[in-house]
Amino acid sequence: MADVLNVGVNLEAFAQAIGAIQALRSSVSRVFDCLKDGMRNKETLEGREKAFIAHFQDHLHSVNRDLNELERLSNLVGKPSENHPLHNSGLLSLDPVQDKTPLYSQLLQAYKWSNKLQYHAGLASGLLNQQSLKRSANQMGVSAKRRPKAQPTTLVLPPQYVDDVISRIDRMFPEMSIHLSRPNGTSAMLLVTLGKVLKVIVVMRSLFIDRTIVKGYNENVYTEDGKLDIWSKSNYQVFQKVTDHATTALLHYQLPQMPDVVVRSFMTWLRSYIKLFQAPCQRCGKFLQDGLPPTWRDFRTLEAFHDTCRQ
Amino acid sequence: MGVTCVSQMPVAEGKSVQQTVELLTRKLELLGAEKQGTFCVDCETYHTAASTMGSQGQAGKLMYVMHNSEYPLSCFALFENGPCLIADTNFDVLMVKLKGFFQNAKANKIETRGTRYQYCDFLVKVGTVTMGPSARGISVEVEYGPCVVASDCWNLLLEFLQSFLGSHNPGAPAVFGNRHDGVYGPADTMAQYMELFNKIRKQQQVPVAGIR
Repeated sequence: MADVLNVGVNLEAFAQAIGAIQALRSSVSRVFDCLKDGMRNKETLEGREKAFIAHFQDHLHSVNRDLNELERLSNLVGKPSENHPLHNSGLLSLDPVQDKTPLYSQLLQAYKWSNKLQYHAGLASGLLNQQSLKRSANQMGVSAKRRPKAQPTTLVLPPQYVDDVISRIDRMFPEMSIHLSRPNGTSAMLLVTLGKVLKVIVVMRSLFIDRTIVKGYNENVYTEDGKLDIWSKSNYQVFQKVTDHATTALLHYQLPQMPDVVVRSFMTWLRSYIKLFQAPCQRCGKFLQDGLPPTWRDFRTLEAFHDTCRQ
Repeated sequence: MGVTCVSQMPVAEGKSVQQTVELLTRKLELLGAEKQGTFCVDCETYHTAASTMGSQGQAGKLMYVMHNSEYPLSCFALFENGPCLIADTNFDVLMVKLKGFFQNAKANKIETRGTRYQYCDFLVKVGTVTMGPSARGISVEVEYGPCVVASDCWNLLLEFLQSFLGSHNPGAPAVFGNRHDGVYGPADTMAQYMELFNKIRKQQQVPVAGIR
């Protein structure tokens, strides 16, 4: 409110200052007019020069006088308060019609909100950095930037070794059949058929599992040109949910030094879905919750839970 | 397609067929099921014509020719406890040509019509079974799409059925026991409908209140 009063008192000075500015402008333009007109209308050259210089001096004096007047008035007007934290936007708070244009309160809210966002983003980035999800043995830090071509050793395993590991896993679980193919270069793609329950497409990069998609036993897993369809999701909600959980499992099972153990653990976990429709939830004892069977399998005990029943 | 269970819902005491169907559909809607158009399953009965009967004096077998709106281009021909033939819809025309061998028992035509509901991966069809002009009963079909082995998901289906059928407790359909680990197919659904229709045909006609 102090600001408002202050401005009210100095309104007179404002009007005078504006007048002074106008006077200054006109005197300055008179100087230039005089320069433009030059020397004329006098009989002798000397007379002309004298008259011109006298005029010019007069005009400059009047400019000087107006400028001084303006400076004096500007001191009277006083400076706008600059101690406001929001600087010029703080002047919005002077708007008397708060109801119609609540700009100032909105501005404050936005400011608070963005401050909070920044704070939380900082916390989140700190936490995420602690729990890195990078699954390769190589520490992708500064060194990786310096040597971008250096590949983690576990990514350059020979295809023969990958085939061996997969076929061993295939023999390990009789109710699970794994079909390996390499449609695009050395990266393997697995089609895992689990009993008569579901099919899983697993995209590998060396022995790392990059992506998995779970579909129903009666769903088509091939595109029209006969390739494995690694992009489209299942039509059934239950398998979309299982796909989500399988992706979680990929991130859970990680042991960069022994990638074959990771694949085996993942397949063991996947095998527990053989009873997807037969096992009731271990917590609530029911089969259905929101129309879905227990789609979650515990990573250690492999027990069945509904997504919302797991701890 | 997934595993399907077809069962008959008894008409609630003191209510007409129509009222019971409305009661059921309202329960389904409360559960969160979404309406998805209508469905129709019909069944025509054919007798083996007398002229083709062997001299052995065996009784003529009944053949049922059925259509299901879920498979609009197909026609199903079934013998009781016997094989099921799945053919194109042209099969109906063929049956007309074969009337020397199979005679259509027109009065025995029976059908069920109603609304189709989707709830998550479940497909529910509640229909009124009619024979001629009269409503004879209520059919409830529940299909669970993701599963293909009937014995795997019977408990799950039962739990779902009980969530909206209330006290009525349908038993496991006979076809579920036939093939223990086999993949469930459309023919199994049609066999269930055939059984349901046969059961309803044998029942006494419901009182006039039930007529649509």
